[in-house]
Amino acid sequence: MFKVSPLRKRQFLGGVIGVILGASIFYILTLNSTEAYISIGPMNTGHQDLSCFSCHADAKGNLLQQVQSNISHTFGARDKSVDFGTKDVTVDNCLQCHDRANDRHPTYRFSEPRFKKAVKHIDATTCITCHTEHQEERVSVASINYCVNCHQDLEVENDPLDISHKNLIVKEEWFTCIQCHDFHGNHKYDVPKKLSDTIPMKFIQNYFEGGADPYGTNKKYTALSQEVWLKTLDK
Amino acid sequence: MKNIYKPILPLTCFILVSCGGVPEEKSETTSIENAFSVEEVLEMVSKENDVTRTLYTKAIVGKGKKQGMKFDEDWRKDDVEAGPLPALFLRGVATSIRKNPVPLGLYLGSDFPVNAANKFEGKQADLFKQIKEDQKPQFFYDEEQKLHTAMFADLASAGACVSCHNEHPQTTKSDWKLGDVMGATTWQYPKDSLTYKETIAVLNSYAKGTVDIYMEYLDEIKAFKESEKPEIGKKWPAEGNYLPTAEVFLDSVKKLASYETMKHLVATK
Repeated sequence: MFKVSPLRKRQFLGGVIGVILGASIFYILTLNSTEAYISIGPMNTGHQDLSCFSCHADAKGNLLQQVQSNISHTFGARDKSVDFGTKDVTVDNCLQCHDRANDRHPTYRFSEPRFKKAVKHIDATTCITCHTEHQEERVSVASINYCVNCHQDLEVENDPLDISHKNLIVKEEWFTCIQCHDFHGNHKYDVPKKLSDTIPMKFIQNYFEGGADPYGTNKKYTALSQEVWLKTLDK
Repeated sequence: MKNIYKPILPLTCFILVSCGGVPEEKSETTSIENAFSVEEVLEMVSKENDVTRTLYTKAIVGKGKKQGMKFDEDWRKDDVEAGPLPALFLRGVATSIRKNPVPLGLYLGSDFPVNAANKFEGKQADLFKQIKEDQKPQFFYDEEQKLHTAMFADLASAGACVSCHNEHPQTTKSDWKLGDVMGATTWQYPKDSLTYKETIAVLNSYAKGTVDIYMEYLDEIKAFKESEKPEIGKKWPAEGNYLPTAEVFLDSVKKLASYETMKHLVATK
């Protein structure tokens, strides 16, 4: 074994304590029960029961391999870099639980060139534009006038609303859309025919912040729970 | 103590190198010769789409309507007992494709769409004018999206296309005729050339999309409460109140499209 110089004893002790402390912190913080301490913020409404791994899947290879691959990439010995620690979270992660056939505004539709201009204002190709995670809310979009980006030329045949859609568009009252229509069209409910009967904005705002659902609880599709999602992976 | 630091650097390097790194994807490491240009592949899959859409429009929607079957744009609504109209059938195929790992995009648009959101704008609108004139496909590389894009004419191939669009309450054009270029399909793919395997994956993802949406239609029929349910098996609506199974439907598509597709796939480069 090697000898520790008496002059270096304190450094050596500090080093040993550091290694033990580092290893302990690494071990403790990777336990399922301590996930809350490493989360960047509380989960959004409906996601409270999810574990980190639901979205943050382990990246390919072990940490050493990932370090080696990324160093190789930095020096040009490898074409692509690799994910470090966990894989990037993408729309596909969200869709594993939330995908459904009758989504009124599915993200994939906005990849088409004709939505390029609209996407510059609001990137509807990805969920996190409106649903930023770890915010303890439901909808995080900056402004609710987003319908303006695609529906300026809307004409409703036999318009059932007492104040016509055309009129609302002329007046640029885009915030009224959401008072009748939920963006993804996932609720079964009777749309009011009078503007005065529509859902008040304070209820919508409360819903966005994670509160009660003003469109009702009768949904067309319910997202998969973590338990059910795990079962789909086994298939 | 000093001696302990000397081997640390080479030892770290040795450990890092010996761990081998994260294995690269097969397609990244193996240099398989690319077999087809993206234009060729998109033309192939577009032809499969033409055959599928025409078969669905003529043999299912057209003949089915004569048997009293209903097709509606709101076919997914709980209180509507109907099947998908051809444009929505294509939308269903496109949705299924996006769920696949194959990075293929498929969209339908027009200059006079029923749904205003499907109106072409910008470059697509300009190219569509050309397509209406010569019915030839248009290809371009979308710099912003970094995607190779192709547009193909979507023709009024059956009476049902013309009558439905002309009579639709929200139609923006009511004088469509058989054979008109009613719109165009837009296809996108990220690479400029594809291996044989990638080409087959693109074709398979389209075929899977067809089966998925057709299966959804058959599932919808199972949930019918008031309407008469057609018998699902080997027979087609032309013979009565019947609908083919998804396998029978796909088999017919393959029979009709296989010659054109095979011609491309086996052609010696």
